[in-house]
Amino acid sequence: MSISDNDRIAYLSGETVDALTPRERAELDELRALLETPATWEEPDPALEDRIVAAIAGEARRERTAATAPGAPAGSAPAGPAAAKRKPRRVLGVSWPLRRPALAFGGLATAAAAIAVAIVIAVGSGGSPAPLQFAMVVSGTSLAPGAHGSGTLTKMTSGWEIQLTATGLPHLSGGRYYQAWLKNAAGILVPVGTFNDAEHVILWSGAPVTQFRSFSVTEQLANGNPASSGRRVLIGTAHPVH
Amino acid sequence: MQDGDLRGRFRQGDPDAVREVYRAHGRLVYAVAYKVLGDRGLAEEATQQTFVKAWRAAQSFDEQRELGPWLAAIARRVAIDVYRREAVRAADPLDSVAAGEPALVSSPQSAETIYDVWEVRDAVAQLAPDEQEVVRLQHLDGFTHVQIAEQLGVAVGTVKSRSFRAHKRLAAMLGHLRE
Repeated sequence: MSISDNDRIAYLSGETVDALTPRERAELDELRALLETPATWEEPDPALEDRIVAAIAGEARRERTAATAPGAPAGSAPAGPAAAKRKPRRVLGVSWPLRRPALAFGGLATAAAAIAVAIVIAVGSGGSPAPLQFAMVVSGTSLAPGAHGSGTLTKMTSGWEIQLTATGLPHLSGGRYYQAWLKNAAGILVPVGTFNDAEHVILWSGAPVTQFRSFSVTEQLANGNPASSGRRVLIGTAHPVH
Repeated sequence: MQDGDLRGRFRQGDPDAVREVYRAHGRLVYAVAYKVLGDRGLAEEATQQTFVKAWRAAQSFDEQRELGPWLAAIARRVAIDVYRREAVRAADPLDSVAAGEPALVSSPQSAETIYDVWEVRDAVAQLAPDEQEVVRLQHLDGFTHVQIAEQLGVAVGTVKSRSFRAHKRLAAMLGHLRE
């Protein structure tokens, strides 16, 4: 190895080296800066892998459901390698296969019903096409200043699946638990689930996230009173994912 | 994706295929997102959105391309969108926002810088664990060789040799970034 290579290695490792040119020094300074940036070393939450797998599985399920929904043209296959080659077209926020001619063979009534359902979904969300997934960042309140996390809210057949991952909240037990809520612009609260630990929670809402976008978690006591205690520990707002 | 079967399974949402792609590139995508956002929760959100977007676009992905740069480009765009969304939510008065705030500029981090982060992160991950540890303590935490030796309970000479080996490998792996 040449002397200059050793000089570069020494400089990169933080030693003082006089033999380098200003250009070499500047280039190595950039490299050192990248070694010093937290982005090079930060590790994501191990649970992120499961969240991503679940999010994509949910999207794939929706795509297959849309492909086999009533009104889907006859002969449209569930998603598979062949189905993956067709580009789904989004109409009123719902993916439709492109095989229009099949509608002429008796699928018109069911197609009309499916379109009506799609219109209801769109109108329920304010008249504009509703995105199928929302995301949120959640922050701790003064009761839990160190808490933070994120979540996804995904429209499924059964309702809205909410996946929440948050750190900084202690595990509750002994009659104490967490309750998650969604709230709309009018201040109406809808409960979406109870849990003891917020590290990875799956919740469900029957109320549409398109209207109920404010998310919160309260500390509750199992004392027979289902109302919110008002002791909010996490808050967040759901935003559509594009 | 060089493996056509993996690509097909990934596009179908096959959990095993998604995990395989995530395990190969997830940390690197996260590094890119964290570089832009500087926040764990937001970076994880952006990472998740990146993989969902990659899944949606997988059918149109050119198999001749390297997957890494493609994911890095998606991650950068997603992270910038997340940053701008958060900046709007915070609704700070414009004159209280620093001049360099990403929301005020069209490109907070150049694509080149973002991909450099990806490359450095990848190179560091290829170091032996004891070499990684020394490099991290030295560069991220700012410790001297003597301080590192005290922390690790090894001789200073051991730290120096690990450091030299690690930086020699990093210089070899990352030399192309200087060209």
